[in-house]
Amino acid sequence: MSKKLEVKDLRISFRTLAGKVQAVRDVSFDLEKGETLAIVGESGSGKSVTSKAVIGILSGNALVEGGEILYDGKDLLRISEDEFYKIRGDKIAMIFQDPLSSLNPIMRIGKQLTEAMILKGKARQKSSRDAFNSYMKLLREYMVLAGEDPQQVKEKCDKFDKFEYCHIDLERAYNDAYEAATEASSDIENALFLIEKKAFKDPARTMKDLMRLCEKTISTYVVNGADADALNASVKLIRTNCNLMIKSGDYSVATAEFGKIKDILTAAIAKPMPNFFAMGYYNTFADKPLPELEVDELNKYLRRYLDDNFMLDFIASVNKALRYSAQRYNKEKQDVIDTFKQTASVFDSPEISNANVKQAADLCIKEVKESIDPLDINKDSMAYTFSTVIDNAVSIYLGAPDKNEREKKRFDRQTKKYESIVAKGKTPDWAVVPASYVDIDLARQNIKRLIERLYNHYAEVLENAPSRDFDQASVDIIDYLKENAANSVRYVSKQMAKHRALKLMEEVGIPEPRKRYMQYPFEFSGGMRQRIVIAIALSADPDILICDEPTTALDVTIQAQILELINKIKAQRNLSIIFITHDLGVVANMADKIAVMYAGKIVEYGTADDIFYRPAHPYTWALLSSMPDLDTNEKLEAIPGTPPNMIYPPKGDAFAERNKYAMQIDFEAQPPMFKISDTHSAATWLLHPDAPKVEMPKIVSERIKKMKKVGGAGNE
Amino acid sequence: MSDNVLLSVRHLSQHFKSLKAVDDVSFDVMKGEVFGLVGESGCGKTTTGRAIIKLYEATGGDVYFKGKRIVAGTLQYRQAIENAAADLKAGKITKAEYSEIKSKNVAEIRRARYDQHHCDDDYERAQVAAVKAKYDELIKNADGEKAAELQKEYKAELYKAKKSRLVTKIQMIFQDPIASLDPRMTVREIISEGLVIHGEKDKAVMDEKVYKMLETVGLVKEHAGRYPHEFSGGQRQRIGVARAVVMNPELIIADEPVSALDVSIQAQVINLLNDLRHELGLTVIFIAHDLSVVKYFSDRIGVMYYGNMVELATSDELFAHPLHPYTKSLLSAIPLPDPHYEKQRKRIVYNPLAEHDYSVEKPTMREIAPGHFVRCNTAEFEKYKAEMGI
Repeated sequence: MSKKLEVKDLRISFRTLAGKVQAVRDVSFDLEKGETLAIVGESGSGKSVTSKAVIGILSGNALVEGGEILYDGKDLLRISEDEFYKIRGDKIAMIFQDPLSSLNPIMRIGKQLTEAMILKGKARQKSSRDAFNSYMKLLREYMVLAGEDPQQVKEKCDKFDKFEYCHIDLERAYNDAYEAATEASSDIENALFLIEKKAFKDPARTMKDLMRLCEKTISTYVVNGADADALNASVKLIRTNCNLMIKSGDYSVATAEFGKIKDILTAAIAKPMPNFFAMGYYNTFADKPLPELEVDELNKYLRRYLDDNFMLDFIASVNKALRYSAQRYNKEKQDVIDTFKQTASVFDSPEISNANVKQAADLCIKEVKESIDPLDINKDSMAYTFSTVIDNAVSIYLGAPDKNEREKKRFDRQTKKYESIVAKGKTPDWAVVPASYVDIDLARQNIKRLIERLYNHYAEVLENAPSRDFDQASVDIIDYLKENAANSVRYVSKQMAKHRALKLMEEVGIPEPRKRYMQYPFEFSGGMRQRIVIAIALSADPDILICDEPTTALDVTIQAQILELINKIKAQRNLSIIFITHDLGVVANMADKIAVMYAGKIVEYGTADDIFYRPAHPYTWALLSSMPDLDTNEKLEAIPGTPPNMIYPPKGDAFAERNKYAMQIDFEAQPPMFKISDTHSAATWLLHPDAPKVEMPKIVSERIKKMKKVGGAGNE
Repeated sequence: MSDNVLLSVRHLSQHFKSLKAVDDVSFDVMKGEVFGLVGESGCGKTTTGRAIIKLYEATGGDVYFKGKRIVAGTLQYRQAIENAAADLKAGKITKAEYSEIKSKNVAEIRRARYDQHHCDDDYERAQVAAVKAKYDELIKNADGEKAAELQKEYKAELYKAKKSRLVTKIQMIFQDPIASLDPRMTVREIISEGLVIHGEKDKAVMDEKVYKMLETVGLVKEHAGRYPHEFSGGQRQRIGVARAVVMNPELIIADEPVSALDVSIQAQVINLLNDLRHELGLTVIFIAHDLSVVKYFSDRIGVMYYGNMVELATSDELFAHPLHPYTKSLLSAIPLPDPHYEKQRKRIVYNPLAEHDYSVEKPTMREIAPGHFVRCNTAEFEKYKAEMGI
């Protein structure tokens, strides 16, 4: 299994009027493909904040103080909003807690489902076109630099450009006809059903629409030749008999003809798609008509023609350009490493010397900027984001003394005022906001860590440089160009979006999707609404789905249905899921791994079996014992008190105040994560070798004993 | 009706236009017990609670509280007249018979309407009489200054007695602790509002009651001056409980009191309700959809489905021998904190059209075993009996 998402040492705070609230403190976890991670905790434990950071929708007063969220090699905390736009919704989607408030009450369900598809489709079209054009330009430049004849390069690239246009036109025409065919076939099915049920409303218009749709499907590669003639004949027959049928109410002619059309369309849909890329070249440059062949044979023939006449040569040129640029930029990267080595001492010295640090940082930024290979398809986000990140870190570091001084002055002033009021014998109705100083040491460490990370990264790249497969890379580039060209054609029309939306609605188990499509959210029950929200989340086919308490607002039977649906979709699409909830009972069936959070920290982390059968942290015990199950009769063990105020996080273990097993050390120092097994760890001093042996509460241990008997977990 | 029954719901119906939110529901609540009402959202459990406390005008059926009819609907009488009219048209009964039925039912309707609006009159009269009797004696025997003092006290008590209502002995705790507390009132005002409405004028007495109540629900005196937004969800729900309990009720209708709370806070509130129930001898109607909580808290449980009560039994009996297919489906949906069990758990799907054939005979509530009622017709009755092994 591969890691999809990695969160390391995430720290997030919120600026509020009362002070800085530390919402997430050093949270680390990872998520593998097809795995469900459940984050369990009370409200205010930071579980929602963590998930919002992953999808990049933290509120404006949030401060990301440290850590990283790695997705696909990118650090989501540091990439630009433009880049995040391609990930949010497309790759990482979210289902929100309250299905009532996460849908727009004045928009029809259909509009809400298709809105994102259409907008994303348009945006993808534009960005693909831009990417294609700019990359072509770069490629020309580097081919010339690599020593090829400029005249020839121009010729080749123009050729590629030209037949790519032809390819796009062909594919667009095919797409339109194909889409019409799929839509017509489902519409015909619908109409036949209505005719059979004698509920055919507004037949004149419906049939007219259908006729028009059918005629649209006639195209060279969808419905052609004899099929097209047959289809035309059927359409003509229905058209001539249309008025007669409506008058008499006898639709037997329509039923028969529609049946024929439907067969034709079904066959057309099943046909493989021709290789339009190669066909584009053939049509543009071959000067002879296409041979009459079956699609498979035709594809082979076209491919050979393209390779022989153009492609192999073109790939060789690309290869040359790639080798040249790789060589050039590897040298630059080596320079960067050298620069880093030289400047390391500047950031090491404990005194802050303004000019030196600034100069060193600027030099690093300049060098790194120069070292980025523009021909890389997968952008090296670490290098790309280096300048903004290091700029930010340096300005924090350099501004720290001033800021701390200001903060101290403010704090002194406020304290003085407060004390003077107290001295007068009054009680002020405000409190002194505690001073929050910038940790200069931490700021410097931060800069050093950023540089070190890029250093290691570049060292690794250089080490792997000799073994790079340039042939493969060239083919990848052609594919990349092809894909972008294709994407700039593949626009999402309203009809296509509707078609996809209806399919999705069926997939998430909404009966009568056609009728439901035109309704408003208030016409849906809670469970149905949540299904719509899930469908919207799935509309962009994401890799990671974040479910933020998706069933808390629903009741038991509906909850079970929604959980089953999420499990089913996960299995079908091999999704990775982050499941956030406060109810341990819900996650028993869902989760592969569970992280129990309290006061912004993960206090216990393990597989579902670890957490439910071998819980180790007192908070997990408390969570398990505070909910009744079907055999509970004794008094529930409620957790006394409320979670701590995170403006003033406790010095020791945050749970110590409410913990009846708390020891002296719990109030003095924060426990580290103690490893219990390979998959299981917990942050409690009870696991320290010197700690006294403590048994978990009886209510929990007995329940586990019983579960082992019933569930068969004792076999392990 | 035995003395032990505190609240008796008879054929209660609550229709909103054509929507039958509650349709012919009957059950008794004994003194001192916790009666659980479960079902999915929209099944009418909240509407039942609200109809009992007269937040709605019931369409049909009656509710008796301490033997007194407090809710009286007219649907059944109107239906009787309609049926008679149809029979008359069909020639099954004579005109004389019809007019007899009609006049009888019209009288019933009149009586029901009177009861619906004047159910508290008797109670108020009794309270007033009791106060009068008490003070008449005292004032007669007292003299001079003391008599004047007593006279003043008597007037205040009489005012309170005139304002007293039988239905205030039923109080409600609402689901959402955020929406159910007025954000512009302090906790003191919220808790004492009911007292004020019912004639309490003495600030000192009120404060004393409020402080005592706050202590009972696990808050402190200082909280009285604060506003609801300054409290956490669990504390807010405690305020909601205090507001209900301060009226010294005999019956509390708790409408999903813990659904909106975190798990750890849920346990606090459930423990509080449990303690109060034992200390004050309260009777509780507990409405919830979380079956494990209901099982833990209730003595008897009624399962509702689309406005009907489908099964009613003691909680142990219901969970040990669920009979109605809907109950079975509901029980099979409960998630438990046990991964191995969860992986094996099969949810039973309830499809009323496939499960029941009511074309021949309509279902009614029947007693299968002592205290275990199921909504079924004769064929199903036999089937369930066989299932129980009787």
